[in-house]
Amino acid sequence: MPFGVGGGSDILARNIAKVIQEEKLLPQPLVVVNKPGGSGAVGYSYVASKRGDPYVIATVSSSFWTTPLLGQSPVNYQHFTPVAGLVYDTYLLLVNQNSAIKSLRDLVEVAKRSPKLVTVGGTGATSDDAVVTYIFQKETGIQLNLIPFRSGGEVMTALLGRQVTIAWANPGEAIGQIEGKLARPLAVAAEKRLRQLPEVPTFKELGINLVFRQLRGVVMPLDVPRDAVKIMETALLKMAKSKSWQQNYVDRNMLVPAPMGSEEFGKAIVAINEMYKKVFTELGVIK
Amino acid sequence: MEILSGLAQGFAVAFTPANILFALVGVTVGQLIGVLPGIGPPAGVALLLPLTFGMDPTSAMIMFAGIYYGAMYGGTITSVLINVPGEASSVMTTLDGYQLALQGRAGAALGIAAIGSFIAGISSVILFSFFAWWLVRAALHFGPPEYFALMVLAFTLVIGLTGRSPLKGFISLLLGLFLSIVGVDILTGLPRFTFGQLKLLSGVEFVPVAMGLFGIAEVLSSVEEKEEAEFVKADLRLRNLFPTIQDWVMSRWAILRGTLIGFFVGILPGAGATTASMISYAVEKRLSQTPERFGRGAIEGVAGPESSNNAAAVGALIPLITLGIPGSATTAVMMGALLMYGLRPGPLLFQQNPQFVWGLIASMFLGNLLLLAMNTMFIPAFTSVLRLPRAILNAFVIAFSVVGVYSIDNSLFDVWLMLFFGLVGFFMKKLEYPAAPLLLALVLGEILEMSLRQSLLMSQGSPLIFLTRPISASLLALSLVTLFPLLYRGVKGLSLARKASMIPRT
Repeated sequence: MPFGVGGGSDILARNIAKVIQEEKLLPQPLVVVNKPGGSGAVGYSYVASKRGDPYVIATVSSSFWTTPLLGQSPVNYQHFTPVAGLVYDTYLLLVNQNSAIKSLRDLVEVAKRSPKLVTVGGTGATSDDAVVTYIFQKETGIQLNLIPFRSGGEVMTALLGRQVTIAWANPGEAIGQIEGKLARPLAVAAEKRLRQLPEVPTFKELGINLVFRQLRGVVMPLDVPRDAVKIMETALLKMAKSKSWQQNYVDRNMLVPAPMGSEEFGKAIVAINEMYKKVFTELGVIK
Repeated sequence: MEILSGLAQGFAVAFTPANILFALVGVTVGQLIGVLPGIGPPAGVALLLPLTFGMDPTSAMIMFAGIYYGAMYGGTITSVLINVPGEASSVMTTLDGYQLALQGRAGAALGIAAIGSFIAGISSVILFSFFAWWLVRAALHFGPPEYFALMVLAFTLVIGLTGRSPLKGFISLLLGLFLSIVGVDILTGLPRFTFGQLKLLSGVEFVPVAMGLFGIAEVLSSVEEKEEAEFVKADLRLRNLFPTIQDWVMSRWAILRGTLIGFFVGILPGAGATTASMISYAVEKRLSQTPERFGRGAIEGVAGPESSNNAAAVGALIPLITLGIPGSATTAVMMGALLMYGLRPGPLLFQQNPQFVWGLIASMFLGNLLLLAMNTMFIPAFTSVLRLPRAILNAFVIAFSVVGVYSIDNSLFDVWLMLFFGLVGFFMKKLEYPAAPLLLALVLGEILEMSLRQSLLMSQGSPLIFLTRPISASLLALSLVTLFPLLYRGVKGLSLARKASMIPRT
C-alpha cells in the first residue's frame, strides 16, 4: 500500500483484506502495510523490488501512473503484473463549512481576481490532487496555490483548520466531515451526480469540462508464477461480486464498481497511462 | 450534566465482563508490543485487526486503545533495563533510566515510569472527557507555520541536551538533520541522498538508528570494558525495587508537566508521542536546578517523558473521535477499523454512538489501572533480568534487537542499518558525542523541513507568515526566550574575551 494511512487507497487495502478473509477467498489473511512517500514512488518501488514474490500485492491508484510519467519513480506500470481492476473513485472539491466561498462560481471569481491566493490542499506535488488542480486551472483560466501534505487525513485537517482554502478529496474520505457539517462540497468531478450526495453539482453542469476518476485495482510484482496471479485474480473478482464488498466498501465510500480481469485491467492500465501522458504533455508538465 | 451522564453510561459499557476482558487483553498485548523493540503499536493493532471482524466495535476499540497506551508503559522496560528503547517514544527514557539501572535503581525508574504513566493516563482521559471539542478546535489552529514554530522551539530546547561540549552536541544534531532529509522529497517526489537504495527512498528509519545508537553501542562498549560481571552493583532487595518518597517528590512536577506537554502535542496530528517525550525531557532538563544530573540517572528524566508519551497516546485519540481524522499511525489504523465496523468517526459519532465513545473513554480508566498494577507488581520479575551475567545479557540484547528490527519490515537492510549505527554510536560514545541530539533531529527534522516549505508555499515565499500568525509568533518568541540564557552566556564569554583587546563592536 504505497500511501499513508487514512486515505482512499488505505481504505481500499483494508477492505480487500477484510472481505477476502470474511468470505474465505484466500487460505491466508492479507496484511496491509503502508509505505507512503514520494507520491507512491516509495511503495511501488518496494513492491516492484519483490520480483517473483507471489505474496505481495499493491493497490493501484493514480500515482501508479503519474509519478513514473513525471520521471520521479524508478518503476512504472511495466514493472508490474496486472491482477484485477475494482472500482472507479472520483473527486470532490471542498471548502470549509464556514468559508465565504459558497459556490464554484464564487471560487472562480475569487481566484480570477487574485491569482495564486487561493490555496489548495493535496497529497504530494504530483498526485491526482495536483493533476485535477492543473485541469481545473486550465479549464477555468485561474491560478491556484497547491500545498502538498503527507496524507489525505492531513489535507482534511488543514481544510478544517482553514489552513488551506479548498481541498480535493475522494467522496468516501470526506463524507464524515460533510455529514458533520465541517466541510462543504462545491462540485464533484464525475459524469453524473453521486447517488449519496444528490445536491452536489458536477463540474460539467456548471460549465467546466472537468471529469476525473481514478481506477483502483490490484497489481503484483513481475515474474510471479502465472497460477498465483490467477488465484489472486479469481479471489478479487469473487470478492468484487460479494454483498459485503458492495455494502461495506462500494456504497459506503461512494464508488462505481469496475471489476476487470487481469487482461482487461492490463489494457486499461496502458490506456490510462496514455491519458495521463496526453494530459501532462498538454499541460507542459512533461515533453 | 451531559458529560457526567455520558461517563456513567460509558462505565456501564466498559465494566461488562467481556469488555473488562478485552481491556485486559489489549493492555497485555500493548505491554508486550512495548517491550519488543521494532514492532510498534500501529503494527500491533493492524495484526489484531482481522481477529476483531464480527466483534462488537466497542470491545474492539477498547482493546486497540489498550494496545496503544499499553505499549507506552511497556516501552519503558527495555529502555531502563538494557538500554534498548522498546518504542520510539521511549528513547528519552534510556538516557536516565539506564543510568539508574546501572546504579542499581532500575526498580525506582520502572516504578516512577509506571506511576507517572498512570497519572498522565488518567488525567488525560479526564481532560478528554470534558474538553475534547474545545481542544480539538484549538489544535486546528495549528497549520504549517505553527508546526514550524513548534519545531523551532523543540530544537532550541534540544540545544540544552548537548552535554558538556555544545559543539559536539551541535555536530550530532547536524548529522541527525542530514539523515532526516534522506529519502524521497514529498514536495517534489525526487529522491535525495538515496544512492540508488530503494529502501532509503522512504528515509532513514528511526527505530534501527535508535536501537543501534543505544542498545548495540552499549553492548560494544561493555565488551570493551574488561571487568567481568560487576555490571550492576544491583541491590535487588525488595526495599530497593520501588521508588522512594524522595524520588516521588523530585518527579511530581515532571509528571505534571509531562502530562500536559504530552496531551497537547498528542492532539496535534503528525506530531505524536515521540515528539512529546523529547520535548518533555528537554523541558525537565532546562527547568532543573541541577541539569548536570540529567544523563547520569535523574529520576525526573524518566518521569517526564514517560508521563508525556502516555498522555500523548490518549491525546491522539481526540482528533480521531471528534473529527474523524487520524493524528498518528496507530489512530489511522484504528480509523480504518472503525470504518469497517460501519462506524464513521467524525463529528456525528458522539451523537450517533454515544455508547461507543463513552464506553471507550471509560475503558481507559480501567486500562490504566490494570497497567499500573501489572507494571508495579512485576517490577521484581523484570529487574531480575539484571542478575544475568553481562556476557549472557549482551547476547540477549543483540538477539533481541536483531529480531526486533528485522520484524518491522522483514528487511535485512534495517538490521545492517542498526548494526552500522551501533558502530557509529560506539565511537560517538568514546569521543563523547551525545547521541540524543542526532535522534531528535532525525525525528523532528522531517516535520521542520516539511512545515517550513509548506508555510513558504502558503505565503508565496514570504517569511513574514511566521510572525503575522499569533500562535507561531508566540512560539518563536518563546524559542528566543529559551535561547536567551545561552546567548547571554555566549555573548558574555565573548565580551570578556574581547575586553582585553578593546575592539569596538559595531
